[in-house]
Amino acid sequence: MQRVRIGIDVGGTFTDIFLFDEVLGQLAVQKVPSTPQDPSQAIVDGALLILQENRVPVQDVVYFAHGSTVATNALIQHKGAKVGLITTSGFRDLLEIGRQVRPHLYDLQVDKPEPLVGRDLRLEVRERTSYDGRVLLPLAQEDVLAAVARLKRDGVEAVAICYLHGYRNPDHEQQTKAIVQKEMPGVYLSVSYEVLPEFREFERLNTTVVNAYLGPGMSRYLHNLAAKLQDAGICCKPYITQSNGGIISLESAAQNTARTVLSGPSGGVMGASYVCNQAGFQDLITFDMGGTSTDVSLVNKGQAMMTTQRELGGYPVKTPMIDVHSIGAGGGSIGWVDLGGLLKVGPQSAGADPGPACYNRGGQEATVTDANVVIGALNPEYLLGGRMKIDAKLAREAVHRLALKLDLDDVAAAQGMLSVVVANMVRAVRVISVQRGYDPRRYVLVSFGGAGPLHSGWLTRELNMQRTLVPQRPGLLCAFGLLVTDVRSDFLQTRITQTHNADLHQIGDVYAQLERQAHEWLDRESIPPERRLFHRSVDMRYVGQNYELSVPLPSEAFDQHSMDTVLREFYRTHDQTYGYAVEGEPTELVTFRVEALSVVQKVPSLSHLEAGPKPPKQAHLEDRQVYLDGGWTRTPVYDRAHLLPSNVINGPAVIEQMDATTLLLPGQRGTVDRFMNILVEDSLVQ
Amino acid sequence: MERTAFKVDPVTVEVVGNALLSVAEEMGEALVKAAYSDNIKERRDSSAGIFDAQGRTLAQAAHIPIHLGSLLGVAEAVVQRYPRSEIHEGDMFIGNDAYEAGGTHLPDIVVTAPIFHKGVLIGFVANLGHHADFFDRGEGRHIWQEGLRIPAIRIMERGKVRQDVLDFILLNCQLPKERIGDFRAQFAANRLGIRRVQELCDRYGVQQFFATVEELLDYTERRMRAGIRQIPDGVYAFQDDLDSEYFETLLKLVVKITKEKEDITLDFTGCPPQVPAGLNMQWTAILATCYYGVKTLVDPDIPPNAGFYRAIRVIAPKGTIVNCVEPAAVYSRTQTCQRVVDLIHGALAPALPQRVTAAHNGANTRMGFHGINGRTGERFNYIETLGGGFGARATKDGLDGVQVHMTNTSNLPIEALESTYPLLVKRYELVTDSGGPGKWRGGMGFVRHIEVLEGELDGGAGISRGVVPPWGLFGGKPGSTQQVEITRTDGAVERPPRGVGGRRPATFRSGDGLAVTTSGGGGYGDPGQRDRWRVKQDLKEGRISRRSAIEDYGLTPEEVDGVLTEEK
Repeated sequence: MQRVRIGIDVGGTFTDIFLFDEVLGQLAVQKVPSTPQDPSQAIVDGALLILQENRVPVQDVVYFAHGSTVATNALIQHKGAKVGLITTSGFRDLLEIGRQVRPHLYDLQVDKPEPLVGRDLRLEVRERTSYDGRVLLPLAQEDVLAAVARLKRDGVEAVAICYLHGYRNPDHEQQTKAIVQKEMPGVYLSVSYEVLPEFREFERLNTTVVNAYLGPGMSRYLHNLAAKLQDAGICCKPYITQSNGGIISLESAAQNTARTVLSGPSGGVMGASYVCNQAGFQDLITFDMGGTSTDVSLVNKGQAMMTTQRELGGYPVKTPMIDVHSIGAGGGSIGWVDLGGLLKVGPQSAGADPGPACYNRGGQEATVTDANVVIGALNPEYLLGGRMKIDAKLAREAVHRLALKLDLDDVAAAQGMLSVVVANMVRAVRVISVQRGYDPRRYVLVSFGGAGPLHSGWLTRELNMQRTLVPQRPGLLCAFGLLVTDVRSDFLQTRITQTHNADLHQIGDVYAQLERQAHEWLDRESIPPERRLFHRSVDMRYVGQNYELSVPLPSEAFDQHSMDTVLREFYRTHDQTYGYAVEGEPTELVTFRVEALSVVQKVPSLSHLEAGPKPPKQAHLEDRQVYLDGGWTRTPVYDRAHLLPSNVINGPAVIEQMDATTLLLPGQRGTVDRFMNILVEDSLVQ
Repeated sequence: MERTAFKVDPVTVEVVGNALLSVAEEMGEALVKAAYSDNIKERRDSSAGIFDAQGRTLAQAAHIPIHLGSLLGVAEAVVQRYPRSEIHEGDMFIGNDAYEAGGTHLPDIVVTAPIFHKGVLIGFVANLGHHADFFDRGEGRHIWQEGLRIPAIRIMERGKVRQDVLDFILLNCQLPKERIGDFRAQFAANRLGIRRVQELCDRYGVQQFFATVEELLDYTERRMRAGIRQIPDGVYAFQDDLDSEYFETLLKLVVKITKEKEDITLDFTGCPPQVPAGLNMQWTAILATCYYGVKTLVDPDIPPNAGFYRAIRVIAPKGTIVNCVEPAAVYSRTQTCQRVVDLIHGALAPALPQRVTAAHNGANTRMGFHGINGRTGERFNYIETLGGGFGARATKDGLDGVQVHMTNTSNLPIEALESTYPLLVKRYELVTDSGGPGKWRGGMGFVRHIEVLEGELDGGAGISRGVVPPWGLFGGKPGSTQQVEITRTDGAVERPPRGVGGRRPATFRSGDGLAVTTSGGGGYGDPGQRDRWRVKQDLKEGRISRRSAIEDYGLTPEEVDGVLTEEK
């Protein structure tokens, strides 16, 4: 019997599938068109296809994980459920007022995002809890019943419940939940103290509503997928990635859908961390450049940096997630000239259809891909390893039209587009590195996504980064990442506690309580006790501040020694983040966190024999003129499929493969390592 | 399109321009995250900018438009006060005065620092925090009553805080613990900005950096002029009455805008003399207000730097409410600023009907309480400014319940407010019928109702638009007026038409409440032309009443009943 693992990344255009055979130690890949109407179709079809191609019987699948943009897209495209909200009397408009800021400071035509619950379905009940958890006004059960009757009549699919200070004392929310469950059996419920037991009412309310909005659709999709997999005979427990990079079962995901809003990009970060760890690197900046957008993130000592809040489609969502910074620029981004005569690139994108001008599907405007064709960095005849023919003449014509407006020649305009797009990328990388207090020069850039390795040479030079790692399958790394993630969830409790007179036992109890919850969850995930791991941390700040910094904590009895460690670590982090720390100034602990995980058995290292620095003859495809450093340069083109470990390629060089093209600039040297990554080092960066 | 020979290539200009902007944003973010007072850490009442060695603005982060006024003046004030030879690496300067430090009002304290690169002064960074201090100081008829006046003086010398200066300032503050925490955050934000700009110079070389900056300013001016050219040539005038918490009489504000080719002049001749109350705008406040108003109409994405200002001329006679001189009080200058932006939109409505908006909420409504916090025994000052309705637009309704024009501060989360102060928020909701009826409805105002839980506190609400509602455009009707309501435990209700506070502070005891209702925006176009389904939707959602549906929008009583029955 074989034992195979499957990882699937569902993208907007393609669904990528990775298969790993544990017995033979072999990897296989496949790409099928996505099926946005019912994403589970492409998932199951793709899985069956790759199994069939590799002659693996379905019952030999022992692991199945996927990442999906279903939740993200439902939110951005406004295709969620009809939701009713039950909230504290006097506050139904909080959902609309939010933090009372307007969406654009100067552009008065920009609208706020449409509230996810209509004003007439936001129902108020009489109740009030105080900031310290005391009940000021008992819950009026008759109001809840009236609200329920109304929501029933309107046929809502989901009910969100959020009361002021519900994070401090959930009693009224619990009572309400019980009534709704009884009166509306089967309705999707999202309750603030369960979804996000943290202070700041608007962010908690909005996250609770987003969870309700996505819940029914995600539940249907996940149940559908589970049933289809079952029917197909794939009987292992299927997983989905969460925004925090961990995987959870489909049942857990259906209960807390807000946690999967960034399921897609997190797979890439996990894949990059894994590949680099094998290659001996733990401090990374991940650079995932696709057709319409680019995601960057920072991995420090093997740990992806996390954040707790970001906006998606204008809606703030608070949930633990990998701190992925996305910008609307990719291979399909369009170049244009603004009123003052400056060249801009994006955020408008030609998308997959019509796509770049060179695709010959009617695209008229110059895209980044066209610019790369014009300077010779991309193959002038085909892309995707020959699967797609392109027309270089159309690329040149499109770039020429732009060049006229800039009073530049065509090649300068193409090069200019690339410089502008790289400048945007530089800005994105700075957001997740220098702005957080990390010096990018100390990090290895992991370059992936279809367009990543084509641009990372310039990017690293701008950022003074010496080393870049291009994984074996840069275009499929997100799917690969799903084979190497861990089962993971976060548990938290806000309890503001001053450090100088903290009750250390009580802190110990909070952690014990969180770890109990974590164990219950791991029980449901069927994880045996010996494979469970817990990481504690605490969010803290100076008394008077309102934004916390997260500080890790050893998993042992909480004593004075732990407290001293925490303080030391806080001062260090504060200094790193803000450039100063005042020792002795009062500090407080705010939110206690436990991250529970179970380490999934990883794909073992597939090490290859070294073959010496000279690439085999058949790897050298041709020489091509590429416009680099202000002149046309004769540049060798290699086929990556024929490169072997320890082969060295000196820039300028182009390395082509089915899922990506890598460009090495003069002064950059790529070495294939024994895991088939290309490690690029730049002699011009000091 | 006009083509100019670039001294520096357009790509480098774009790259450096973006880099400077992201440095300013990074400074602003660092300030909010490390600050101590609610007004900065939660309400984000703060800004940051970068300037060249002459004091010209190179970049301002998109925070609060009126703060641009203080930032515009501050680097210049430092340069004027100290000869170059006396400005050293590691120095920082602090200032807030409206007449000596370029500030627009005293709570906005700016910290400025020179940027040196290889020993040469190449520019300044500055950041501003609105420090909610200087409260309970009487009537505010002149600036000395409004707080400690700080000229642009040295607070840090070669990297070391001047403790004597700091102690002097702190002694004059009522909440020194908050102040010191906020100042530390301001110092740290500047250090960060300096480091980032130095890195840019390392990368490009100082000469290239200077050349790029010049080109960046020229580019902005070109783009600004290209935007101005789109306005039809002509002379446009508008006027509006300013009502306030201070005076029974109305103050008539006027503007005359002359547009010729690629130049635009905003002339405020005819505005009233400065008044013995905090409604006066000093010179950089009127500049910041005009820059904002024009920017919203010609090109919202123009980079915020000094190149922008070259194409705009402002005429405001000295000694008037729109260009006051010492010792005029300036605390509530944003009340007037908000109206001036509306004036600009009103004047240009015939020229740019697709871009202008009807009058917005039109005030910088303020509510707050101060006194001793019974929970801690310490003095506190809670202050908040409230948003309201956006004016309706040519093809859209106005936004409901947001900060408008010259401010964009956040609210203080109720859970943060109640955890800190002895106050309870009773209601925070949009107000039915507040948006001015029109083909496009004005945005809705909201009400914030707060009850005092313990102690005896002073409280108040500074409003405008309590008497004169926000006007509509092209047949659109006015939005609602602002209202203040004080409820006493014995059931008595007071409704002062011009607010409380300023000259008429009120005392609140446990159980008393203060409810402030802000204006909705004016409507745009004839309400009879509004899509019927939108009227019904508004009725269904309670955004308009049965009365308004019939009287303003012409729905029949049967249609109204149809919608409302369905609703029941």
